[in-house]
Amino acid sequence: MSINSATSDDDTADGGDESGGPDEVEARVGLRYTLKQVRQDTTARIGTYIVGFMTFVAVFAAFDYYILDYAIAEAVLYNPETDPENVRRLLPPVGMENQFGQGVLEHPLGTDHRGRDLLSRTIYGTRIAMTVGFLATAIGLGGGTVIGAVSGYYGGWIDDVLQRVTETIYAIPFLVLVIAFMTAFGRDLTFAMVGVGITAIPVFNRLIRSRVVSIREEDYVEAARAAGVKDRNIIFRHIIPNSFAPVLVQATLQVGVSILIVAGLSFLGFGAQPPTPSWGQMLSASRGYMLPAPTFSIFPGIAILITVIGFNILGDGLQDALDPRINN
Amino acid sequence: MSLLRYTLRRFAQAIPVLIGIVTITFFLANQIPGDPVEIMLGPTPAQEQVEAIRAQYGLDRPIHVRYFTYLSGVATGDLGLSIYYDRPVLEMIMLRLPVTLLLMLSAFAFAIVTAIPLGVISAKRRNEPADHISRIVSLIGVSTPSFWIGLVLIIVFAFYLGWFPARGLVLPWADPADVRGAATRIEVLRQTAHHLFLPMIGLGTLQMAQITRIERSSMVDSLQGEYVKLARAYGVPESTIVRKHAFQVAQLPVITIIGLGLSTALGGAVLTETVFEIQGMGRLIITAINNQDYQLIMGTTLVFGFVYVIGVIVTDITYSYLDPRVTYGDE
Repeated sequence: MSINSATSDDDTADGGDESGGPDEVEARVGLRYTLKQVRQDTTARIGTYIVGFMTFVAVFAAFDYYILDYAIAEAVLYNPETDPENVRRLLPPVGMENQFGQGVLEHPLGTDHRGRDLLSRTIYGTRIAMTVGFLATAIGLGGGTVIGAVSGYYGGWIDDVLQRVTETIYAIPFLVLVIAFMTAFGRDLTFAMVGVGITAIPVFNRLIRSRVVSIREEDYVEAARAAGVKDRNIIFRHIIPNSFAPVLVQATLQVGVSILIVAGLSFLGFGAQPPTPSWGQMLSASRGYMLPAPTFSIFPGIAILITVIGFNILGDGLQDALDPRINN
Repeated sequence: MSLLRYTLRRFAQAIPVLIGIVTITFFLANQIPGDPVEIMLGPTPAQEQVEAIRAQYGLDRPIHVRYFTYLSGVATGDLGLSIYYDRPVLEMIMLRLPVTLLLMLSAFAFAIVTAIPLGVISAKRRNEPADHISRIVSLIGVSTPSFWIGLVLIIVFAFYLGWFPARGLVLPWADPADVRGAATRIEVLRQTAHHLFLPMIGLGTLQMAQITRIERSSMVDSLQGEYVKLARAYGVPESTIVRKHAFQVAQLPVITIIGLGLSTALGGAVLTETVFEIQGMGRLIITAINNQDYQLIMGTTLVFGFVYVIGVIVTDITYSYLDPRVTYGDE
């Protein structure tokens, strides 16, 4: 009796691929199979390129931040604090002009309200967004997999209790839930990540649970059980690996969703705290200057858009690539 | 089973979830650091004053007693007193909830009206240019943060073109005497529409994109159905097939996605209200948090949950009403 009962049927239908016996299933799981399919699917490939590029940017920013102590950024990034006399606030991108002056090559995308370089801040925002996106998804995936697997495999009262709890979490609009969670525990990025991760648990829980319920009765699981294999081993060695494809698709899409939610949170003042650059917080700061310096509001948004599109295209592409109904 | 009984049963089933929402909200609010009494009275209040206030708000009692008091309060419609506004929480919510609901309804109306034709055309002309455009639009739609769409709309349509106001909302039920430049109800409504246009698109774009995607895939499936082949074999015109045979069946997954979209839209409303400075539930919860107004934080959070649960029930009922295969019996 779920409050989402209208959808549960669809989910099971989506999850149930129509591959035949156990031999065929074996051939259609795993990393090597996925990579092969992705190479053959144009959409998945474009998604991989975008996600790969954004990951590279994020790793570059992290490398500069942790190892080189901003050495690369300092070279391009003009730091207003070191030279307060010469602060150039709200400059437009190179080739454009606004009331604060003309765009300069030093700041290709212009500067923010405190004279900091927008390109480097946007690049550094990638680090936060990607980290949060991946970690929040990992928390949701981990929590959802355990709960969904236990719930689906054992059934009965364990299933009832776990499903009622995740249903309740799902029943509070997730942005509101994360805001309430962060108000209670802390406003910084760690709690944003955990909060968004918790809201993703019900998503993976339902996916895994519906898979487990349908796979539980398969012959090879029956056989394993008859052979005396422990429940835990059946769940983690047989059932979860066989749910690889839909979980991978969902996880890819979830990274995009998490990036969107965290950007929204930062926009509201929850999440990365200044001066750490995050896209949502940059957009929030830009609100005061939309009329004189509109480009300030544009670039962080485009960065979010491109990153999330990358994950969405990759997710869609993976879905097509790994769907046996299409490949057959 | 009749539709009425099914409706009642769905509401009865929602009760444990509603109690769960109250529980989560209560215990989260209890984790909030800081002392609300201190915020009320300033940093160095007199001890007796603190105790009096604590007793007045019931803060001196143990947590489980407060939980059950709160739960029974919620059941009778008493959500406590907002310390910040010095008014009952329910009163504040009743003032703000209609604003958010108006925003949500208009956003969903916009989404449905634009998405359904887009999705149908996309499915009908699969892999043609119209389909590609519609798919790209919906891909961008699901990938763009709603608050950024709001900012861009303000820059373009409010600041540069000056077509729409950048902030605020004129409530349709406002007294014409209180609204600047409006003498009659019609003028008030015109101003409401004028103010609502940009926030509606800002909030509705994501829903539009999601509905378009589902509408397209659902129509593609539906157009390949046996009944469509049969109708074609009978020589039924293609437009009639699309309109009469395929379309109706294809709407069921769309209703589901609308129900699920409510959660995103309610969260999106918090952001959209912030961008357009609209005084709805979203601004209320942010004000509550910024002023550590416990009762108001709890009240607004659980009303957000309640609205979502009720919305999902309504979509479930619509679903079972439209789907000839769903009986109102046991699932």
